[in-house]
Amino acid sequence: MKKMDPKYIIELTLKLCATCLIVAGLLGVVNKVTAPNILAINKAKTEAAMKAVVADPDNSTFSDPLALTDEMTAAAQAGGGSLVEAYAVQVGGADAGYALKIDASGSQGIITMMVGLDADGAVTGVSVVKHSETAGIGTKVMGNEPNNKGVPVLDQFIGKSAADGVLNVGSNVDAITGATVSSKGVTAGVNAALAVAGVMG
Amino acid sequence: MNLKKQFMEGLLTQNPVLVQVLGMCSTMAITTSFFNGLGMGVAVLVILTLSNIIIAAIRKIIPDKIRIAMFIVVIAGFVTMVDLLLQAFIPALAESLGVFIPLIVVNCIILGRAEGFSYKNSVAASFWDGIFQGFGYTVVLLAMCIIREFLGNGTFGGGLLGIDGKGIQIIPAEFGIGVMTLPVGGFLVLGVLIAAMQWALAKTKK
Repeated sequence: MKKMDPKYIIELTLKLCATCLIVAGLLGVVNKVTAPNILAINKAKTEAAMKAVVADPDNSTFSDPLALTDEMTAAAQAGGGSLVEAYAVQVGGADAGYALKIDASGSQGIITMMVGLDADGAVTGVSVVKHSETAGIGTKVMGNEPNNKGVPVLDQFIGKSAADGVLNVGSNVDAITGATVSSKGVTAGVNAALAVAGVMG
Repeated sequence: MNLKKQFMEGLLTQNPVLVQVLGMCSTMAITTSFFNGLGMGVAVLVILTLSNIIIAAIRKIIPDKIRIAMFIVVIAGFVTMVDLLLQAFIPALAESLGVFIPLIVVNCIILGRAEGFSYKNSVAASFWDGIFQGFGYTVVLLAMCIIREFLGNGTFGGGLLGIDGKGIQIIPAEFGIGVMTLPVGGFLVLGVLIAAMQWALAKTKK
């Protein structure tokens, strides 16, 4: 191979660097314009998800994301999911439990869900924020359709607490037929939330 | 360059999906509803046109040895911009297209046109190439969306028309073939479309 002229190498480096700098500068501008909007949209989305899982959506207020301690993340892991975000819920200034954003694995990927817990550590609601479950099968679970006992599958968790022990599909949780893995994923997420609530007090 | 010839190439004889068989990943994944297909098609069209223009404009100063790296930097820049803008202003679309917007960076259609066309042609010709190739891509996506949505859910215009954007129900949903909305259905529809295209092209050549 012919030896490259050092001058040519420098030219290549400079041109690539200049291109990167220009593109990065432009991206910075676009980011500046869009960042407030994106932040507001994400916040509204999170708020809507939290409202869906608390007992009293109209009067509840939510804190900023709480700092996650090692203890909390470890508890979530032990429960079968991972803790993404935690918010304190207040009704009329009084503490009314938590809203926890939990990741758990479903049949096709991660299911991200919001789990609401009251001050006594009982579940007030479960809603799925994001998932990639199979359309027409796993999506039945995500959409809270009735399970094989005729109860909406996500609503059956309402009122469950650490006192019920570890939740298990087949014993104290009923799945949707054909979507057992997705049902198990959601159950693992709720177990994780209960475990986190346990260490948060 | 002849505009009419370029248009026919984008739409038919050099169609990015059906003839060049580029950008398969996104084609399979997002063609489940009309809204997705339209959004993805337009996003690719815009990015392709912009990157074509810039690459054609700077083609004389791009050193041959690092051209691919330069292309990718330019393309990635535009994709990130479009991604941010979608998230900020059309969040519903950003959500349903998800990771496939950032993945446009590695969509072969755009790199393929940069390498195959705009690196060798004028800005104006590259601009039209972006529009026509993007249009060809969009048309195929929409065709796939319409077929898959109709066979899978019995609807038309999902995500855009009808009650709650669920699409207009043409046949009852119970008659839908669920598998058509899965990737398998994507392969089947695409296979049939490519076969039909090849048959039509072979026939016109004779």
